[in-house]
Amino acid sequence: MINLTIDGKEIEAQEGTTVLEAAEAAGVFVPTLCHHPQLTPYGGCRLCMVEVEGARTLQPSCTLPATNGMVVKTNTQKVLDARKFVLTLIFSERNHFCMYCQVSGGDCELQNRAYDEGMTHWDLQPNWQPFEVDASHPFMVLDNNRCILCRRCVRACGELVGNYTLGFEERGADSLLVADYNVPFGESSCISCGTCVQICPTGAIIDRQSAYQGKETEVDHHIGVCVECSVGCQRNVLTRDNRLIRIEGEWDAVLNHGLLCDKGRFLPLEDDRARLLTPLVRKDGSLKAATWDDAMKAIAEGLGNGEGIAAIASTRLPIEDLALFKSVFADALQAGLVTTLEEGKATASLAKMAEKLGKPFESNLDVLKDTDAVLSLELDLVDEHQVAGFFVKRQLTDGTKLIVADSKGNKLAENASLKLDLKAGDENAFLDKLHKAVQYETGDEAFDKAAKFLKTAEKPVIVYGEDFAAHADEKALETLLEISESLGAALVGVKGNANSMAASQLGLEAPIKVNGHKSAFVMLGDEEPSQKLIKQLEEVPFVVALAAYGSQLTGNADVVLPVTMWAEQSGTYMNMDGRLQKAVQALEVPDGVLTSRDTLLKISEALSIEPDADWKTKVTSRTPTVEIKEA
Amino acid sequence: MAYFRSHVLVSVDPVCVEKGAYELIETLQDELVKQGLVEEVQVLETSRIGDPETEGLDLMVYPEAVHYTKLTLDDVPFLVEEQFLKGRIAEQYIRETKRVVDEELSAPKTKEVRIVLKNIGEIDPLNIEDYIARDGYMALGKVLTEMTPEETIQEVLDSGLRGRGGAGFPTGLKWRFISNAEGEQKYMICNADEGDPGAFANRRVLEGDPHSVIEGMIIGAYAAGASQGYIYCRAEYPIAVRTMKTAIEQARNFGLLGDDILGSGFSFDLEVRMGAGAFVCGEETALMASIEGQRGEPRPRPPFPAQKGLWQQPSNINNVETYSNIPQIILKGAEWFASLGYKKSTGTKTFSMAGDVKNTGLIEVPFGITLREIIYDVGGGIKEDKKFKAVQTGGPMGGCLPESHLDLHMDYEALAEAGSILGSGGLVVMDEDTCMVDIARFFMDFTQDESCGKCTPCRIGTRRILEILTRICEGKGKPDDIDTLRYLCEQINENSLCGLGKGAPNPVKSTLEHFLDEYEAHIYEKRCPAKVCKSLIRFEIIDGLCTGCTLCARNCPVDAISGERRQTHVIDPDICIKCGICEQLCPYDAIEIK
Ligand SMILES: Cc1cc2nc3c(=O)[nH]c(=O)nc-3n(C[C@H](O)[C@H](O)[C@H](O)COP(=O)(O)O)c2cc1C
Ligand code: SF4
Ligand code: SF4
Ligand code: SF4
Ligand code: SF4
Ligand code: SF4
Ligand code: SF4
Ligand code: FES
Repeated sequence: MINLTIDGKEIEAQEGTTVLEAAEAAGVFVPTLCHHPQLTPYGGCRLCMVEVEGARTLQPSCTLPATNGMVVKTNTQKVLDARKFVLTLIFSERNHFCMYCQVSGGDCELQNRAYDEGMTHWDLQPNWQPFEVDASHPFMVLDNNRCILCRRCVRACGELVGNYTLGFEERGADSLLVADYNVPFGESSCISCGTCVQICPTGAIIDRQSAYQGKETEVDHHIGVCVECSVGCQRNVLTRDNRLIRIEGEWDAVLNHGLLCDKGRFLPLEDDRARLLTPLVRKDGSLKAATWDDAMKAIAEGLGNGEGIAAIASTRLPIEDLALFKSVFADALQAGLVTTLEEGKATASLAKMAEKLGKPFESNLDVLKDTDAVLSLELDLVDEHQVAGFFVKRQLTDGTKLIVADSKGNKLAENASLKLDLKAGDENAFLDKLHKAVQYETGDEAFDKAAKFLKTAEKPVIVYGEDFAAHADEKALETLLEISESLGAALVGVKGNANSMAASQLGLEAPIKVNGHKSAFVMLGDEEPSQKLIKQLEEVPFVVALAAYGSQLTGNADVVLPVTMWAEQSGTYMNMDGRLQKAVQALEVPDGVLTSRDTLLKISEALSIEPDADWKTKVTSRTPTVEIKEA
Repeated sequence: MAYFRSHVLVSVDPVCVEKGAYELIETLQDELVKQGLVEEVQVLETSRIGDPETEGLDLMVYPEAVHYTKLTLDDVPFLVEEQFLKGRIAEQYIRETKRVVDEELSAPKTKEVRIVLKNIGEIDPLNIEDYIARDGYMALGKVLTEMTPEETIQEVLDSGLRGRGGAGFPTGLKWRFISNAEGEQKYMICNADEGDPGAFANRRVLEGDPHSVIEGMIIGAYAAGASQGYIYCRAEYPIAVRTMKTAIEQARNFGLLGDDILGSGFSFDLEVRMGAGAFVCGEETALMASIEGQRGEPRPRPPFPAQKGLWQQPSNINNVETYSNIPQIILKGAEWFASLGYKKSTGTKTFSMAGDVKNTGLIEVPFGITLREIIYDVGGGIKEDKKFKAVQTGGPMGGCLPESHLDLHMDYEALAEAGSILGSGGLVVMDEDTCMVDIARFFMDFTQDESCGKCTPCRIGTRRILEILTRICEGKGKPDDIDTLRYLCEQINENSLCGLGKGAPNPVKSTLEHFLDEYEAHIYEKRCPAKVCKSLIRFEIIDGLCTGCTLCARNCPVDAISGERRQTHVIDPDICIKCGICEQLCPYDAIEIK
C-alpha cells in the first residue's frame, strides 16, 4: 500500500495503480477521453493532466503510476487551463457541429467534458477538412469528421477482440482512422463485434440500428445474460417505449468485460421472423386461430400420456422452464422421450465422465484469458462462441501458441501456430498419438511440436467443442484427462446453447428418435427448428408446438401456442463453465402470449397434474463437469 | 573459471593455418609453460586477423589489444618474454596501420578538440586492426579485467559525460538505473536515427569509426548487465548500416562480441536495426516501439526505459556520440574528461554547422566555447561578410538566438536558459537577409509534419501554429495572433507527450522573444523587413540604374515588365508573381525589392 495526497485528501492506494485510478477511488473526478478502464493506458488526449509536486510540467494522470508521498492537485488554474486548451484544440480539429450529431446532448464524452469545463465556444479558428462518411458497414457508420483520434476503437479492436481491423494511416494532423489498409469498413476484416462502436467516446462510429432513437438517459436498461450461446456474456438491453433500441456489452462483467459478438449485439435486432400472437388449433385438417381454452382442450384430448409422448425443449429457454418441462413430462406424464433440441450432443459424454470421476474436471473460461499455449480440438471459436475466441486471439501477438486440431474448415486455424489433422471419429487414435508425443519424441514432427508447445507452456489450456464431445467415447476422454494431467493443462469444454449445461444437469440429453410416438410436445421458444426435426415430427399424429415464431414445424403442428421470445421473459441460465446468471425481461409480454413457463403451468392445470417448480436442487443434484457457481 | 591476466588470439582461418597458425599456437603454449606463465595467459583461436597477403603470422594480445604481425616461430620466445613476463610491448613486431584519407572531414580548425572525431579519416573503418592499433578495445580489456561494473559506472559518472542525443542526461546515472533494475533480459540500445535535418555528426562516426561505438556499447552493456544490444540506424544511411554490420562481424570474429568476451565470462551481442524513416522514431520510446515492430509512437514515461523499455525489459539508450566517448573516458580517466568543458557540461560536442557561415561542416569543440567563437573562429564568419542575425541550435526544436547571445558559453544549461537546446548538435547560422517569421514557419512546417499524431497538443497545436504563421507571412496576420501564438506555444510545451511536441514551439517562442518587431511589422505594417515573404514585397525598377537593356522583360515569365529599349522599364505589380528572376538577372542591379 502506498499513501498519496490528492487535492489535500490523504489516500491509500494499491501499488501499481495510476494516479487516475487513485483519484477515482477517492471520489475525485478527473476528466479523460482516450482512457478506458478496459484498455491499456495510452496517454494521448492529455485531458487528464494534473499537477504533481516536484514535476516540471503537468502529468497525465491516466498513465502516471501513483507513488508513495506523491502530492497531486487536480483543480489548479494550470490544470483547468490545460483542460480547456486540450478541448479547444480537439474542437478545432474536425467538424463538431453538435446540432447534427447523433450523440449530442448527453451521449458524447467530448461534449460532456466541454460542458463540465463551462465551455460554450472555442477560440481557435478551426480548419475543417471534410471527410467522406463511410456507411458501407451493415451495422455501423464511420464518420471521421467526428473522430477525435483517441484510438480507443483501434486499441479495443486489437487489445480486447484480437481482430486488428482498425488502425491509423498517415501521421500528425493527417492521421486518419481506417479499416485494414483503408478499405470501406463494410469490406474490411471486421467481424461486427461492435466493441468499437461501444467504446467510441464521440459520434465518430455510429450504431445504425439505434442512431437517433434515444439517448442513454431516455432509454431503459435491462442488464442480464446473453442467451445466444453458452459463453454467457453479460449485456445491457436498451429499450424505449417497449421497443428494442440497442444491445451493449456490460463493461463491469467479470467474464466478458464489455465484449459481445455480432450474435449477442446486432443480430437479435435484425430478427424479422413472423411472430405468433394467438393460439392455433387444427380443425378439419387446417390450422385455425383459437382461444387458449380451445387449445387447452385440444391438448387434453390429444396429448395422452406415458411412453407415447415425445417431449422436446429448446436449450435457449431458462432453467426454470426446462425444470418444469422435465417435471411435467418425465415425472408426471412419464413420457417416452424427454429431451432437448440439442440432444445432449455437446454434453452427454462429458457429463458421464464427471459422474464416473465423481467430481468436475473442467476449468473456468477465464483460463483462456491468460494462457501461453492453447490446443483447440474440433471447434471453431471464430464463428461460434466468439467472445471465448477473442480471449485467445488477442493473446496471439504476445506469443501465445495456438494449436488447432480439426478436419473441417476452421477459421481459427488462420491464426494458428500449428495445425494438426483430426478426423471426425478418429479421436482415439489422435489422442493416443498426442499422449505419446507428450511422453517422448515420436518422430511425428507436428505432434512433437505440439507437445513441445504445451509442455514448455506455463499455463496450457486444452479446449474442445461440441463436435469433439459428440464423438469422444469414454476411452478418448480418459486419454484426454491423462494428457491434461501430465501437462498440467486446464480443460475447457465449449457447450452449445445458452442452457446446454443446465439441460445436461437436468439429464435432458437423450437423442431424438421418433418411432411410433403418438404425440409430440415441442417447446421451441424463439428457437428455429431444424429441417431434420421437422421431418421427424411429420410421422407423429399429434404435435403441440410452443413457439414465438411461425415455422414449418408450427405449420405442421396440431396445436400451436404463442410464447414469448428472449426479450420478453426472464430466467436463469447456466453457461458453459457453470455460472448461474439471470436473463432479464426487457419488453412487455404481448397480449395473447404467455411465457413458456406459464404455458406449461396452464397445460398442467388442464391435465390436472401438479408439477414441481423447484429447479435449484435439480440442476445441482448431478455431478457437474465444471463447478457450478452462483453469479 | 580460471582467471587469465592476458589473452592471446591467433587467427586460424585457412590462410593462416596454411602459414602455420597451429604450429604458432603450439610454440606459444610450450613457451608459456617454459616461462611459467601458463596459468596467467590464455591462448585462443580466432578467425582472420591481419592481411592474408602479408608474410608471416599474426596474433593479438588482450587486454592491451596489441597486434603483432609478420611473426615467425623463432620470434615467439622473445615475444613471450617481453610481452608477458616483462610486460612490455615488443615494438618491432607491431603491425603498421593502413591509413585512409578522408576527404570530407578537414583538418581540425582553431579551437577544435577532437575526441569523438579523433579517428575519423585516420583509420580504415572497415578494418578492426586499424582501430585496435589506435588503442581500440583497450578500454574494453581494461574494464573486463580490472573493473567491476559498478566501478565502470562510477568512472563514467565521475567523467560528467552527458547524453549527446538531446536531453543531456548524465550517462553514468542512466547506467546506474539500468544496472539496479531487475529484469530477465537487459538491452543496450544505440540511437543512430539522427533525424534532424542537416545533422550528420553521428553518420560520420558510424561510417568513420564504427568500433568506437561498438566498444562503448560493450562497456555499457558490461556495466548494465545487458546481454543484447541494438543499433537503431536511420535507413537513409546505407553506408553507415553496412559499415556497422561489418564492424560487428569483425568484433565478433575477434571474440569481442558474443559469448564469453575475451574469456571474461561476460557475453553480449549486437544487431543493427534499420529505422522506420520518421523523425519521431529518434525519440527513445518511439524507437523502442519501432524495434518491436509497432507503429513508431512515443510511450508515456514513467515507466522509464531503464525499468520497462524494449519488450518491457530494462533498457538503456544512448546516442552514437555518447557511446563513442566512453572508451577514451575509460582509458584516459574520468578526471581527464572532466577537465575538458565547462561547468556541468564536460568534454566536447560535435556540431553540424550549416547556413550562412563560411566554413560549413562538422566540428568538434569543447563545451564552454562561445557561439561567437564557433561562428567567427571555427566557422570563419558570415558568408559575404554580411551581418549576423541569428543562430539556431539543436535542430528543428531549437530556438533562434540573436546577436546579444553570441557570447553565451555553450553548455546544456546556458542554452536551455536562453530558450534553445543543444539537441544533437545542429547549428544553423542566419544572416541579415533572413525573415525570422518565415524561419519559424519553416521549422514549424517540419515539426508539425513529423508529429506522430498521438497526442492532442502536438498534433493539433502545431498545425494551428503553422496556419497562423503562414497567414502572418501572407500578410493576413491578425492583431491577436501574437497572443494566440504565445498561448499555443506555452500549452503545447506544457502538455505534449514527448520531446517533439514539447520542443516544437521553441523556434516560435524564441523568435517571438528576440524578434518580436519582425512579427509586428508583418502583422501591423504588412511588411517583411528581411524582404523574404512574397506577399509582402514588391519588385521595382530603379529609375536611373535601369539602362533599358530589356533582359528582364524578355525573361519575366508573366510579361509583367514593359518599356522601350534604352528606356527605364516598369514592372506592373499587379501582374508580377514575385518570382525574383528579374532581380537575379539585371546586370545593373536596377531591380529592388520593396
Ligand atoms: C523527436 C525526437 C527525436 C529525437 N531524435 C534523436 C536522434 O535522432 N538521435 C538521438 O540520439 N536522440 C534523439 N532524441 C533523443 C532521445 O529520445 C534520447 O534522449 C537519446 O537517444 C538518449 O541518448 P543520450 O542520453 O545518449 O543523449 C530525440 C528525441 C526526440 C523527442
Ligand atoms: S462528436 Fe460530440 S462534440 Fe462532436 S459533434 Fe458530436 S456531439 Fe458534438
Ligand atoms: S466491430 Fe469489432 S472487429 Fe469490427 S472493427 Fe469494431 S472492434 Fe474491430
Ligand atoms: S472513431 Fe471514436 S474511438 Fe476511434 S479514434 Fe475516433 S473518436 Fe476515438
Ligand atoms: S459469445 Fe455467446 S454469449 Fe457472448 S455475446 Fe456472443 S452469443 Fe452472446
Ligand atoms: S508530442 Fe507529438 S510526436 Fe510526441 S507523442 Fe505527441 S503527437 Fe507524437
Ligand atoms: S519578379 Fe518575376 S514576375 Fe515579377 S517582374 Fe520580375 S521576373 Fe517578372
Ligand atoms: S485520458 Fe489521460 S491522456 Fe487521455
